Amino acid sequence: MSKIIIGRFIPGDSVIHKMDSRGKLIFTFIFIFIIFLANNWQSYLVLVLACLLAIVATKINLRFFWDGIKPLLGLIFFTSFLQLFFTSGGEIYWKWGILSVSSYGVINSIYIFLRFTLIILMSTVMTLTTAPLAIADAMEWMLKPLKYLHVPVAEIALIMSIALRFVPTLFDQTIKIMNAQRSRGADFNDGGLIKRIKAVVPLLVPLFINSLEVAIDLSTAMEARGYRGSEGRSKYRVLEWSKYDLINLGYFVLLLILLLSFRSK
Amino acid sequence: MKKFFFKLSLQELIFLALVIAIKIILGRFSFGPTYVKVGLGFIGSVALGYFFGPVWGAVGGGISDLVSSALFGNEGGFFIGFTLTAMLAPMIYGAFFYRKPIKIWRIVAASLLVTIFVNILLNTIWLHFIYKMSFTAALTARLLKEIIVPWIQMIIIFFVLNGLQRVNERKEKLEKSRM
Repeated sequence: MSKIIIGRFIPGDSVIHKMDSRGKLIFTFIFIFIIFLANNWQSYLVLVLACLLAIVATKINLRFFWDGIKPLLGLIFFTSFLQLFFTSGGEIYWKWGILSVSSYGVINSIYIFLRFTLIILMSTVMTLTTAPLAIADAMEWMLKPLKYLHVPVAEIALIMSIALRFVPTLFDQTIKIMNAQRSRGADFNDGGLIKRIKAVVPLLVPLFINSLEVAIDLSTAMEARGYRGSEGRSKYRVLEWSKYDLINLGYFVLLLILLLSFRSK
Repeated sequence: MKKFFFKLSLQELIFLALVIAIKIILGRFSFGPTYVKVGLGFIGSVALGYFFGPVWGAVGGGISDLVSSALFGNEGGFFIGFTLTAMLAPMIYGAFFYRKPIKIWRIVAASLLVTIFVNILLNTIWLHFIYKMSFTAALTARLLKEIIVPWIQMIIIFFVLNGLQRVNERKEKLEKSRM
C-alpha cells in the first residue's frame, strides 16, 4: 500500500489565492460546461491560453501541476487512443476489420486529450490555491438552496467539517493499526488474493471500533459545550467577497466572449 | 421529504462523518497486481450502506465525494455527476445490507447492481458527457476492468460484512448503555 499525502493546498499570495473559494468553485464547476463551446482549433487555443494564464497566475511551481496530471496520464492517453479508433468520418488513413483511423478520429482524439488535460489542470489550480476548509465552506454555501427541499443542509455541513477534520487523524490511526498488526506477523502486501483480502479485516475492525469510540467521546464533548442541533447557531468562519472576485468574474466573462466569437457556427 | 431523512442522533452523525473519513482514506489505497488494481473505496460505500441505510448512506457517499475533492482534488474535474454516482453506490448497498442478515445472494446482487448501474452505465455516461468521448470508446475503456473486479469485490464484501457485523453489535451495545 502506497503512501498518501493529505491535502494538496500550497499556500501563496497570488491573485488566485486571494479569491473567494466560492467564486473559484463556481468557476471550476462551470468550466466543464464552457469547454462545450469549443469546437474548432481556434477556440481550443483560447482555452489552452486561458488555462496557462491561470496556471502562471498561481505563481506555483509547475512541478505540482505535473504531479496532478501524472497519475491520470495513462488514462488520458488510453481514452484518446480509443477515441482514435472509434470515430469514423473524413479521410481514412488506415483500416483493419472494424477498426479504422480517420481524419475525424485524429482531430477528435486530440480534442478529447485537450478537454481532459484542461479540466484536470483547472481543478488542480483550484485545489492547489484553496485550503480544504475553504473549499468545504464553499460547498456548504452551494448546498444551501437544497434547504428548500428539506434536505438537512446544516447537518450535512457539520458532517463535512468533522469528516474533513478527521481524515488526517484516522489516516495516522490506520498506519498505526497496520504497523501494530504487522508487528504480530500480519502481511498486507503478500500472499494470494484471498489471503490479502482476509488481511483487510484485522485492519478495518479496529478502525471502525476506534471511530465508534471517537464518535461517543466527541458527541459527549459537543453536548457538554452546549450543542443542541445545527439550527440557531452563529458562524465564526465567514467567507467574504472581495475585489479579487471581480477579477475572477471578469476573466470568466472575457473567456466566454472569446469562445463565442472564435467557435465555428 | 422531511420524513425521508429520519433524524440521526449527534453520536450517529459524528459516526457517519468518521465512516466518511474512513471511506476517503480507503479510497486512496488499492491492492492487487498492477493489471487489476482494486481500489478499497467501495468498502467505505458498503460500510455507509450497512450502518446508515440507503438514505443517509447516500448522503454520506455524496459528502465523501465532496470532502475528498476538497482534500485531494477530483480526478476528472469537479463534476456533479460523479457526486451522484458516489451517492448511488452506498444507496444500493444500503438497500441490500442495512439491518438485514448477511446472505451470499445479497452480496452478489448488490455488487452486480453497483457494477452495472454505477460503474459501467453512469460513469460511462458522465465520461461521454464531459469529455464528448464516443460512448463505445468510453465503455470499452472501462468494460475490461469491470468484468474482473466485481468478483473480487464480492469476496471482500463478504469478509468485510462479517467484520462490520461485530462492529455493529458493539455499536448497539454502546448506544443502549448510553440511554
